[in-house]
Amino acid sequence: MLNFTLRRLFAVIPTILVLIVFSFYLMRLAPGGPFTSERPLPPAVMANVLERYGMDEPLHVQLWSYIKNIVLYFDFGPSFSQKDRTVNDVIAQGFPVTLTYGFWSAIFVLVCGVPLGIIAALRHNGFWDYTMTGLAIFSQIFPNFVLAPLMVLLFTLSWGLLPGGGWNGGQWQYIVMPAIALGTSYMAGVARLTRGSMLEVLNSPFIRTARAKGLPERTIIIRHALKPALLPTLTYMGPVFVYMITGSVFIDVFFSTGGIGQDFIDGAYSRDYSILLGLAILYSLLTFALTLMLDLLYAWIDPKVRSSMG
Amino acid sequence: MRDTQTNTAPLLSVRDLSVRFRTGDGLVHAVNNVSFDIDVGEKLAVVGESGSGKSQIALAIMGLLAKNGEASGKIMFDGRDLLHLPLGELNKIRARQIGIIFQDPMSSLNPYMTIERQLAEIVELHEGASRRDARKRALEVMDAVQIPDARARLDAYPHEFSGGMRQRIVIAMALMCNPRLILADEPTTALDVTVQAQIMKLLGDIQRDMGTAVVLITHDLGVVAGFCDETLVLYGGCIMEQAPTLSIFDAPGHPYTRGLLRAVPNIEDPAASLAAIPGSPPSQRKPPAACPFAPRCVDAVDACHLTLPDLDGDGSKRACLRPVEVLT
Ligand SMILES: Nc1ncnc2c1ncn2[C@@H]1O[C@H](COP(=O)(O)OP(=O)(O)OP(=O)(O)O)[C@@H](O)[C@H]1O
Ligand SMILES: [Mg+2]
Repeated sequence: MLNFTLRRLFAVIPTILVLIVFSFYLMRLAPGGPFTSERPLPPAVMANVLERYGMDEPLHVQLWSYIKNIVLYFDFGPSFSQKDRTVNDVIAQGFPVTLTYGFWSAIFVLVCGVPLGIIAALRHNGFWDYTMTGLAIFSQIFPNFVLAPLMVLLFTLSWGLLPGGGWNGGQWQYIVMPAIALGTSYMAGVARLTRGSMLEVLNSPFIRTARAKGLPERTIIIRHALKPALLPTLTYMGPVFVYMITGSVFIDVFFSTGGIGQDFIDGAYSRDYSILLGLAILYSLLTFALTLMLDLLYAWIDPKVRSSMG
Repeated sequence: MRDTQTNTAPLLSVRDLSVRFRTGDGLVHAVNNVSFDIDVGEKLAVVGESGSGKSQIALAIMGLLAKNGEASGKIMFDGRDLLHLPLGELNKIRARQIGIIFQDPMSSLNPYMTIERQLAEIVELHEGASRRDARKRALEVMDAVQIPDARARLDAYPHEFSGGMRQRIVIAMALMCNPRLILADEPTTALDVTVQAQIMKLLGDIQRDMGTAVVLITHDLGVVAGFCDETLVLYGGCIMEQAPTLSIFDAPGHPYTRGLLRAVPNIEDPAASLAAIPGSPPSQRKPPAACPFAPRCVDAVDACHLTLPDLDGDGSKRACLRPVEVLT
């Protein structure tokens, strides 16, 4: 298992390098730059600015020093558009915010989605099953950019229960709506997935064996069916969590949480290469970390996977 | 007086058992009006080709039919009708009184649980055994089914065992509570011939030592020959013939049984050609109104296509208008 983890960590390094090189050139090849504006800068000033950020050097030299700074100092360099701030500052300020409500959103997705799916499977074609189908349709009609304003309309403007935006150091009142608005459609997805896999597992021969033992239905579900029924959900949750974090741009903007999504948008508008690149690397590191975690979790559940890891 | 009565009453008595499945295009009549008895310690074989309804009989007894299936008739065990028992009561009979060995050892074990847990939970449930005692019992039974190095392998998972070993584990599972009846659904079909022989010998030894009654389900008459006292031949969900195993082999009464025997290779007479029965299995869309075998029967006359014969005769019973011995 340790072996497996180490091997995976080593595999990450070249992948990340390729990713850096690729995104670096891709961004630089796109027309425009951080210092182009409607009123062009005088050439002398432009040359000055470019020199200050090291952008007068050939591309591969810039790339080399960029990578060197990341590897040696974990330094993503200065922001091109925000004066006197480094990319590290920007990440340190926005990322914890997004990660916090992303985490709670994932908890919400699992804590509501999994039980709902299981109950729907057990009450196949019953009330809860229809509730779940209803929820799935609901989340299709109300994606987060419709759901969020709707929630603000009800919970803030009509009933005055929750603040309509802001972060305030991450007090729970400020987390609730972003987390729910972000998670609802994924929650419906998890419920549907769990329901399907639970139904399938309950029809499998080894569940019939468990019934032949005379075990009560509750024991059969908890002891025999739950683990295998949750495997697909687990697989689904990995990428979903990354989507939730990276796809939270709308939430960050709408609720003014000060999360990283806002920086991403600003960075894209102002061609702030260093911010965009820094975030791309951050997101991919996050993806790797999560996939590794899930693989280990998978191995913990499935003995066959475990023994194949060696 | 009462003692002799309970001793002579059969252990399990199946009466007019029918199993139907609701499917997208209508009912499937998988088992039709099957009746038979098993006495304490008796060994009964149920033979028939694939799809003849053998497994469904075993599943109906255990109350484990698929969701779209429904059984009617009576299955009396200990004076109670299993078909009408509430689930809680049925659960007390499953594994403790009637054990089942499923057809496919590969998929009938839980891949996410150790063998020890899968065995031990049975006695923990039915006998309230402690974890330690249950583990001890699991070890005993694994030794009994001759799993080498059982102690070291208790905590292994199913995928770490070969097919033959898994089959032994499935058998061990059925033995955990020393049930009075074991339903063995093709316990050797998935295995190669040498392992097959070992497993059958094992089952025979266990049966003899513990006096357990066994229903052996198989499509392989060769397996039946050395094992069962009584044989029941099934075709299209109907009983064609029920007789002592010896007389089935010496003098098959039903043309279908005769056909089955001709399809088995014979060591004493290897020159005799193997004869498959021409034609295909019957449709099970309608409840049979005439002998289901008639369309494939070389001896069939017009009446065979019109009437459904009763199972009769003494000692050796068959459901046929023109049984073999009448013709010769
Ligand atoms: N869930 C189901 N829905 C519809 N038909 C079913 C279902 N289960 C079984 N059947 C039908 O019941 C019939 C009898 O099946 P059964 O499993 O008892 O056969 P079998 O004699 O055990 O055959 P085999 O030797 O292949 O195991 C088959 O024709 C099968 O198609
Ligand atoms: Mg079968």
